[in-house]
Amino acid sequence: MINLQPYSNPIYFVWLAVTLLPLMVGLYFGKRFVVYQTIISGIFLLLIFGGSKWQQGLALIGYIIYQFIVVGGYAAYKKHANKTWVFVSMVSLSIMPLVIVKLTPAIEVGQQSLIGFLGISYLTFKSVQMIMEMRDGTIKKFAPIMFARFLLFFPTISSGPIDRYRRFQHDYVQVPTREHYLEMVAQAVHYIFLGFLYKFILGYFFGTVMLPQIAQVAISHRAAFFHTGISLALIEYMYTYSMYLFFDFAGYSLFAVAASYLMGIETPMNFDHPFKARNIKDFWNRWHMTLSFWFRDFIFMRLTFFIMKHHLIKKRTRIPQAAYLVNFLIMGFWHGVTWYYIVYGLFHAGAIIINDYWLAYKKKNPQLPHNRWTEGLAIFITFNVVCFSFLIFSGFLNTLWFQAR
Amino acid sequence: MKSRRKLWSIFGPVIVAAGLLILLFSLPLGWGRFSEQTEKQAAVSLSPKVFRGQKIKQQALQNGYVPFFGSSELSRFDVFNPAVLAAKYRRSYRPFLLGAAGSQSLTHYFIMQNLGSQLRGKKVVFIISPQWFTKLGQRPDAFGFYYSPLQTIDWIIHAKNNPADRYAAKRLLQMPSGRSSQTTAAALENIANGQSISRFQKTVLRAKETMLRNEDTLFSHFQTNKNLAKVQKSEKVLPAQYSTPQLQRLATKVGHQATSNNQLGIKNSFYTRRLSGNHMQALRDSQTNFDYRQSPEYSDFQLVLTQFSQWHVSVQFIIPPINQRWANYTGLSMPMIHQTDQKIKYQLQQQGFNHVLDLTDDGNEKYFMEDTIHLGWRGWLRADQAIDPFLTKQQPQPKYNIQNRFFTKKWQTSTHIE
Repeated sequence: MINLQPYSNPIYFVWLAVTLLPLMVGLYFGKRFVVYQTIISGIFLLLIFGGSKWQQGLALIGYIIYQFIVVGGYAAYKKHANKTWVFVSMVSLSIMPLVIVKLTPAIEVGQQSLIGFLGISYLTFKSVQMIMEMRDGTIKKFAPIMFARFLLFFPTISSGPIDRYRRFQHDYVQVPTREHYLEMVAQAVHYIFLGFLYKFILGYFFGTVMLPQIAQVAISHRAAFFHTGISLALIEYMYTYSMYLFFDFAGYSLFAVAASYLMGIETPMNFDHPFKARNIKDFWNRWHMTLSFWFRDFIFMRLTFFIMKHHLIKKRTRIPQAAYLVNFLIMGFWHGVTWYYIVYGLFHAGAIIINDYWLAYKKKNPQLPHNRWTEGLAIFITFNVVCFSFLIFSGFLNTLWFQAR
Repeated sequence: MKSRRKLWSIFGPVIVAAGLLILLFSLPLGWGRFSEQTEKQAAVSLSPKVFRGQKIKQQALQNGYVPFFGSSELSRFDVFNPAVLAAKYRRSYRPFLLGAAGSQSLTHYFIMQNLGSQLRGKKVVFIISPQWFTKLGQRPDAFGFYYSPLQTIDWIIHAKNNPADRYAAKRLLQMPSGRSSQTTAAALENIANGQSISRFQKTVLRAKETMLRNEDTLFSHFQTNKNLAKVQKSEKVLPAQYSTPQLQRLATKVGHQATSNNQLGIKNSFYTRRLSGNHMQALRDSQTNFDYRQSPEYSDFQLVLTQFSQWHVSVQFIIPPINQRWANYTGLSMPMIHQTDQKIKYQLQQQGFNHVLDLTDDGNEKYFMEDTIHLGWRGWLRADQAIDPFLTKQQPQPKYNIQNRFFTKKWQTSTHIE
């Protein structure tokens, strides 16, 4: 049995083109072949989670059944009651598998949880979002089949972008007009080729050609600068890794968005020139956008309201600061329970809080210069702060300080 | 009508691009020659890309380069590395270094597969390390690192139904890399079972071969490697004229300076990086159970010998020693090392491979080893005294007598010679 990892090699794209073609013809003529789409989705899921990855496949099936019980159960309950503790427990139950998967390697060093599979965190985002929107009343009905389509939408199953249920449902039901669909197809082709450049040329160059060499040199200098390992090579590593991270992930996201477009679903974009950001807040509006927007809508905003409603914090300016801290801490834990992901989260929280102070200061002092030079400086500073955070994120410091022999 | 035009404007370029790509990879294009500089870089690059490829090696071997098969010792570009000596003293040969950490007989066997016409009747140097002969032999991950689909396909297309090829096919199928492509794996199963490959398999493999060959030729033009600079830097340290006593003095001097921070005669940088601190304590008596006498590697090595014999290649073998002080420290058994050495030499001499430089007993010589198991300053000089005459003087046509018993489990596990 063959196994194909999403967008990892040319064969995957050939499969994609061949299987999507009938669906595309249908969409071109204003029809969505639902049965056909279901069948090819099944085939792709089988290719991704079959063969040597069959354990993951079983874990996925178990996970889906579990989320159906949790989300469906909450939907049934919500019809006649609306207790907060039920809502909180349902959200906790929904997150639980992910928590187990993330905690397992931290507790039993290096062990991967048996219930884990590729993309579990992205499916969790989708499930939790369902429960939260049901609580809000924005999602009123639990439609099991549409929920399954939403969760298992194969172009985005492994690493997002994280779509929203109502948006997805709308696109699925409402076939785009021919004119609009052609626009989407044109965009998709452009994205796929841009993705090739990003992931297979630039990402490969930075990640596979450059990075191992630089890592080796940096490790050999690990006694440098009073045993901190700070060397020129480490700085090189920082920038190279940042480039790799961006091009690899942005390339993947382009593929995922393109495949969705071909299927008539306008999955949101994940990146918008993140290195042009003028401050950290701006950065999070451009980097891994579907994730940061998810965190904004379902953690940051809710937490801010919660604090205000219950008057937990007196001083108004402290409220967003606390919310940022919690928000990014959770994001850190979500990446994995290791010191460097958590420090990465805290670092961004710190950066965004400092940035808030600066913006407030700037507002009070309108005489401060603002021209293209200061903007350039802002971009430069933001870029370097971000790259430094990626160095933390990369885990290389962990290797350098605690693991390298 | 408007939509149709739009469709063309979207997919037209894609179709053209796909067509061009298919043409680029499927036509048997030559892609011109490589410059002398590219050859030079590739010869010392030690890069898996070069090992896996074909074209640049073919061209270099036609232009006076001689393959030096080995493993991690080749990557030490200090003053006396064979590549440095050959370049400095303008020898009639230039080493083409093939091998790096983790490359063993099986990798070398496949590296040779598409160099047949360049190796036939020629000379090569082969540095064979006792450390290859571990209980499990070639590590699959290391093999995978150097695995070349192109060489494997070339080999499959020419494979015959004989003990060597059946053995090689079985060996490949034990490696995850050998199973990574379904067509390849199916063809290998056929060969391992003594059947010929189907016409369909052959057609698919031929098409893949052309594609991979074009890919190899195209990307071989891009050599990015810092090793050539290291070689050129090392050349400057050597005296202008080759003089054995002068070089011996230099080797002693450089070796002395470079091994000042430890008692084991290990290069300072290696010692600091790999052995300092707590590592040293952990390594004391850590190798008492090492045993190189029983290993599948003996049969993998036999594959290499069989290939040399088929192509009438003259081979200078070098068996490097182990740093004696290091062996004492780690508790490595010297009787075991000697028996390993005897077994390797027996396998060589029984089949007519008589150019063997056995350095096993030189592990105690000062500045002979650069670190634990890798030849260093005086060690390379000693090797050079065998390599230089072997390659620059006329050698009689070798007469080999290949014996298939070396492919058996019995030989792999035997500890008694005869």
